[in-house]
Amino acid sequence: MKKLFIRIFKSSGLISLLLLVRLFTNQTHVLSQESLKISAIPDQNPERLNRMYKILANELSKELQVPVKYIPVINYSSAVTSFRTKNLDLVWFGGLTGVQARLQTPGSKALAQRDIDAEFYSVFIANHKSNLPVINDIDELSLLRGKRFTFGSESSTSGRLMPQYYLKQAKVSLSDFQGGRPGFSGSHDATIALVQSGSYEAGALNEQVWEERLASGEINSSKLKVIWRTPPYFDYHWVVQPDLDNRFGEGFTDKLQNFFLNMNKRNSSNQRKILKLFGAKKFIPAYNYQYKEIETIGREIGKIR
Amino acid sequence: MLKKINLAPQIICFLPIVAIIPIGKDIFLDFHSGGINTLYKFFSSALFPSFDYLVIENSINGIKVTLSIAFIGWIISIINGLFLGLICSDIFYKTFNTPKIIHKIIKCLLAIPRGIHELIWGLLLLQVFGLTTWVAILAISIPYSALMARVFADQIDALGTRKIYALKSSGAGSLEALITALMPKLFPIIISHSAYRLECAIRGATLLGVFGLGGIGTELQLSIQSLQFKEVWTSLWILGIVVFTLEEIIKLAQNSFQSSINIRSTSIILCSTLFFLLCFSFTYLKSIDIGLAFNFIPVTLSHKSHFIAALKDLEIIRLSLESINMMLLASGLAIGAPPLICLLLPGEFSRKVISIIWLVLRLVPIPLLAILFLLFINPSISVAALALGIHNMGIMGKILLDTVNNTDDRISLAIKASGGNERVAWLYGKLSPKSIAYLSYSLYRADIILRETAVVGVVGGVGLGWQLQESLTSFAWAEVIIVVSTFVLLTMIGELISEKLKSNLKNDSLSLKAV
Repeated sequence: MKKLFIRIFKSSGLISLLLLVRLFTNQTHVLSQESLKISAIPDQNPERLNRMYKILANELSKELQVPVKYIPVINYSSAVTSFRTKNLDLVWFGGLTGVQARLQTPGSKALAQRDIDAEFYSVFIANHKSNLPVINDIDELSLLRGKRFTFGSESSTSGRLMPQYYLKQAKVSLSDFQGGRPGFSGSHDATIALVQSGSYEAGALNEQVWEERLASGEINSSKLKVIWRTPPYFDYHWVVQPDLDNRFGEGFTDKLQNFFLNMNKRNSSNQRKILKLFGAKKFIPAYNYQYKEIETIGREIGKIR
Repeated sequence: MLKKINLAPQIICFLPIVAIIPIGKDIFLDFHSGGINTLYKFFSSALFPSFDYLVIENSINGIKVTLSIAFIGWIISIINGLFLGLICSDIFYKTFNTPKIIHKIIKCLLAIPRGIHELIWGLLLLQVFGLTTWVAILAISIPYSALMARVFADQIDALGTRKIYALKSSGAGSLEALITALMPKLFPIIISHSAYRLECAIRGATLLGVFGLGGIGTELQLSIQSLQFKEVWTSLWILGIVVFTLEEIIKLAQNSFQSSINIRSTSIILCSTLFFLLCFSFTYLKSIDIGLAFNFIPVTLSHKSHFIAALKDLEIIRLSLESINMMLLASGLAIGAPPLICLLLPGEFSRKVISIIWLVLRLVPIPLLAILFLLFINPSISVAALALGIHNMGIMGKILLDTVNNTDDRISLAIKASGGNERVAWLYGKLSPKSIAYLSYSLYRADIILRETAVVGVVGGVGLGWQLQESLTSFAWAEVIIVVSTFVLLTMIGELISEKLKSNLKNDSLSLKAV
């Protein structure tokens, strides 16, 4: 009986040896088929991201005639790093992360943004129990001193950078909040849930997410209200690697840009679905210079060194 | 007047639970019912997880990636650990007459990889190599190699040199003498420690996933972030079933290997199984092509002035104290609660129930626990400590039951026979002989909790762990280096203290000075 076992295990060893050989002979084959790797900062629920980017990858692949792969990343900074290390070719960044990525990857450029990104807003929300009034003037943000306050993700433009910038203009520093520090809920949805529960009295998030949750009835407006809307700023945009033309053929980057810019003109139900999932009517061109202000603010807050 | 109070180690096991007093006070004061609806949604989702095809497919692929990473990292660390352990052992230089100084240097150098938690290795390597599976594999195998090397070196030295000298004096070469003398006794130790490490590796790989390195942890964290509880539960259920099955298989395999006598055939069986699984993991990771290629693009290192500025900006002392405070509260809960619960609930059936609860606690990631607690408790350090403590309680509970179950029954049977009840028999017969082992593991766990403080930023940015996240997302390398060095320093201080405590414990009691 034991000998039989040994024989079985010896043969399994042989099989695995064969597997190993196959593994290495396969390698050249895999390398020759280069694919365009796309990704996005995870600011939405993953199921939706997966759905959205699978359709997008298919459409891109169809239009551009190259294999396209969606690679999910978990946090904002790993998207930036993976872009720097060339593991990603085309990424949907937020304002701040886009600047971080372009600063770390010389030659890369902003490709396209949504119509709403050229004028993007954050909202400050509060739990009714906090007794915070609607704020009309930016200086009244000082009412948030001594309250329990949460941002979203550490690197979020709309959930942290811009709100912190406007708080700073109203001379509210992070140590002014109750407990001597703000929370970082991790996402816009978590900010809504935690302020709604009352654990945090107020928070700041992306207006687009707020509007969507409001429309879908996920927000209990007897508990939550918007107390302030920030002035507009540039936010999300597509950023591409500089070397795509070398790798995929002359004019590839332009073709890529045209794919996004003409999305609303094409008669494709999938592309209309993509626009809907992105919450936009159309994509418009984006330029590096549009994010100068974000860069200055990023340096002021300390998120860009 | 100074008086010496002698405390038996089994009593010390219960002491850390005093941490519950400050935690309990804060929670009591900050309790509210605002998040009940969300909490209800979370628990009801347990019974109705998402059965969406895409969600299930992602979770299953995730668990395969996690297992593959854990497995490859684990095998690499066993091989490295054995090799390094041998080199680091006193026996090695005595047998081969190599210079003692080299041996000492290697031993000291190994304290550095050991002092950095796999999580921090993961975050650092991610910055250097980008998002490749190798990062996760390396993050696990670097600290584990060093840890195993230390354990194996200690075990090898414990075997003594007599046999080797005997073999050498009868004409055997150094290497042959070493292998013949050491292997038979070392083999069971290697197996049992390695089996334990595999579980750690799986947990580690899941945690790395929570930080974005792929696998089931990534799926979980993404669902948690967006509060998609049905999807969270799909991943949790799959993770739970797989981990439970694996733990049972490991237990079975360990028992059957311990009872088998023929080392040669067991090792052949073992090695070929492992080799097979290794190839399988590689093939899998390759087939899904999540990038096994190395892209070495290092960051430009910071200028000296950056370091000086960073040292000024970071309040390292305050951050360290905050971390230590949080760690102490959480460790108190994690270390003190399991023995108390076991003592209060004796009996086979309640043990089974407890061990399932502990399994759930160690599966639920800390960030999720923190968000759940925040739904009904206002943010404070205590909430963070509670989340950390409860999660680690699941791990300490398992360690406790495993070590205690390995105690032989004679003492507890004798106590029962002489009229002691179930609880007394457990306390003196089962816990007492193993309390030192439990406590020395506790010290190691406390060290891990210190690093895990990085994941509770949701309750407010507190401590070194949060600062590390903040510095990493700002790509401020000078700060990152300073914070990581502080972690290493704290770990080394912790190791010194634990060495001291252990030698005290070995005298069978710890003396506390009281006025």
